[in-house]
Amino acid sequence: MTSLPAKQNKKLGLVIDLDICVGCHACAVNCKEWNTSGHSSPLHDIDPYGDDPTGVWFNRIHTFEVESEINGSKTVHFPKSCLHCSDAPCVTVCPTGASYKREEDGIVLVNPETCIGCKLCSWSCPYGAREYDEEAGIMKKCTLCVDKIYNENIPESDRVPACVSTCPAGARSFGDLGDENSNIFKLVEERNGYDLMPEQDCLPTNKYLPPREKNNQFKNDALNSITNDNDFSFDTWKEIIEDASK
Amino acid sequence: MHPSKSIIFFTVMSGTGYGIIICLSFLALIAEINFNYGFKLSLILISFLFITLGLLSSTLHLGHPERAWRSFSQWRSSWLSREGLAAILTYIPLMIFYLLWFLEMDIFKYFLYSASILSVITIYCTGQMYASLKTVPAWHNVYVTPIYLINGLSIGSLSIYCLTRFYESEIQHLYQFTLLSLALCLLLKITYWFHIRTKSTSSINTAIGLGKDNKVSFFEGPHTGKNFLTTEMINKIKKEKANFLRLCFIILSCVLPMYMIVQEATLIIDAFILKLSFFITLVFALIGMLIERYLFFIQAKHVVSLYYGENKV
Repeated sequence: MTSLPAKQNKKLGLVIDLDICVGCHACAVNCKEWNTSGHSSPLHDIDPYGDDPTGVWFNRIHTFEVESEINGSKTVHFPKSCLHCSDAPCVTVCPTGASYKREEDGIVLVNPETCIGCKLCSWSCPYGAREYDEEAGIMKKCTLCVDKIYNENIPESDRVPACVSTCPAGARSFGDLGDENSNIFKLVEERNGYDLMPEQDCLPTNKYLPPREKNNQFKNDALNSITNDNDFSFDTWKEIIEDASK
Repeated sequence: MHPSKSIIFFTVMSGTGYGIIICLSFLALIAEINFNYGFKLSLILISFLFITLGLLSSTLHLGHPERAWRSFSQWRSSWLSREGLAAILTYIPLMIFYLLWFLEMDIFKYFLYSASILSVITIYCTGQMYASLKTVPAWHNVYVTPIYLINGLSIGSLSIYCLTRFYESEIQHLYQFTLLSLALCLLLKITYWFHIRTKSTSSINTAIGLGKDNKVSFFEGPHTGKNFLTTEMINKIKKEKANFLRLCFIILSCVLPMYMIVQEATLIIDAFILKLSFFITLVFALIGMLIERYLFFIQAKHVVSLYYGENKV
């Protein structure tokens, strides 16, 4: 069980578009909402209404500042959950076989019946995808909403992970990244999707799409005309705006 | 990394217990190790208690200690599983050795050698468990496993040496063996400290993946409070405090024992004071080892800290 499957029939995973994400945290909230009553339920919180609350979350949104000469400074919201790696170290380090990767779709899961709570899998994961549940004494993690994506009791259009269905901006896509004909695979190709920390050799399934290059030509032209023109007035500014909007 | 008390206690105590067995087998190879009953019994008790208490303590950090037996199943891929299995297997020749040695039957040597080989394998697995983690650059290097081995061996042989002082007996070559292992222990640790000053190839740029033409900096964490990752994987220690603790380790676990062994004749006249001071030396050396293990954890940075404000690890 602990060894990785020799082949994967599918590579189900997420693609996160850093150009679109607005950092609203809705995906993280809906993740908690679904999973606290699903496969891994309950996701315990400790001291939830006190001074120092902590709890089990499978998805978190970090924020970074990205500066470049061409694009200037930009705030990038960065959601991060389990990347369901093809070469997942969290699976091979597990001493009990509780941590496993499914051959049929590549989802990495933890068997709550056999996990001893040694936390070694969390140490081996470079992405911090594992979450130890202090109350339950076992490791938990993103299941890619395995109890939702195959759930025949809900409409077919809803059979995507909770974080994907809830994203108000459409920054998250779900699909088979092992299928070269899938839309999600093409999206990654088209937008130069990339792996996080490729040097860790985990071969993550989830991909990230970089923010698009900003087209700063108009802004630069406008700024130049303002600074070069001593007789600059409201009318010239209005003309520039009108020209640009044509 | 979070310095878990039970893991620190486990690795130091069991390492010492296994070290005693390994050292004893080296001595048996080159000399006679038939001592009086009191000395034998003390060695048996100390090594057994150190190994067993350590192993028991290692289960304390588990969420489900009652399921610990399950960890023997995945030896094909997991160093932790191999470590558990090797630790249990060691008991078989070890218990037979204890019995035969106590009964003064000559074939005890073969069981001692087997127990010693399995002890080396157990410590090796412990070391490899850390050394195989790419996510912790301070552990993912060639020094970690030899350090675990030599630390166990040096403090193990020191334990035997202190016992010879206590029972006023002599074992051939033990003097050189103990000094050599203590010196190696110090040398290897200092080399390791120099080595971990180099930064890993993982950085905030590779972690976010936008660092190629951009300058990436941390702006905001996912929440204002702590979480499992920050308490388990992101621990800090002030440089001054760490340097002080490193010095404590060097003095307590290496310099003080070596000084005591070499200068014994010039230092102590009274027999009782001699016994007492070697007992204190051993206790201090063990405390130094606990400090070294604490530093091994607290100074090791996990790459996940790159998502929580670190630029390099």
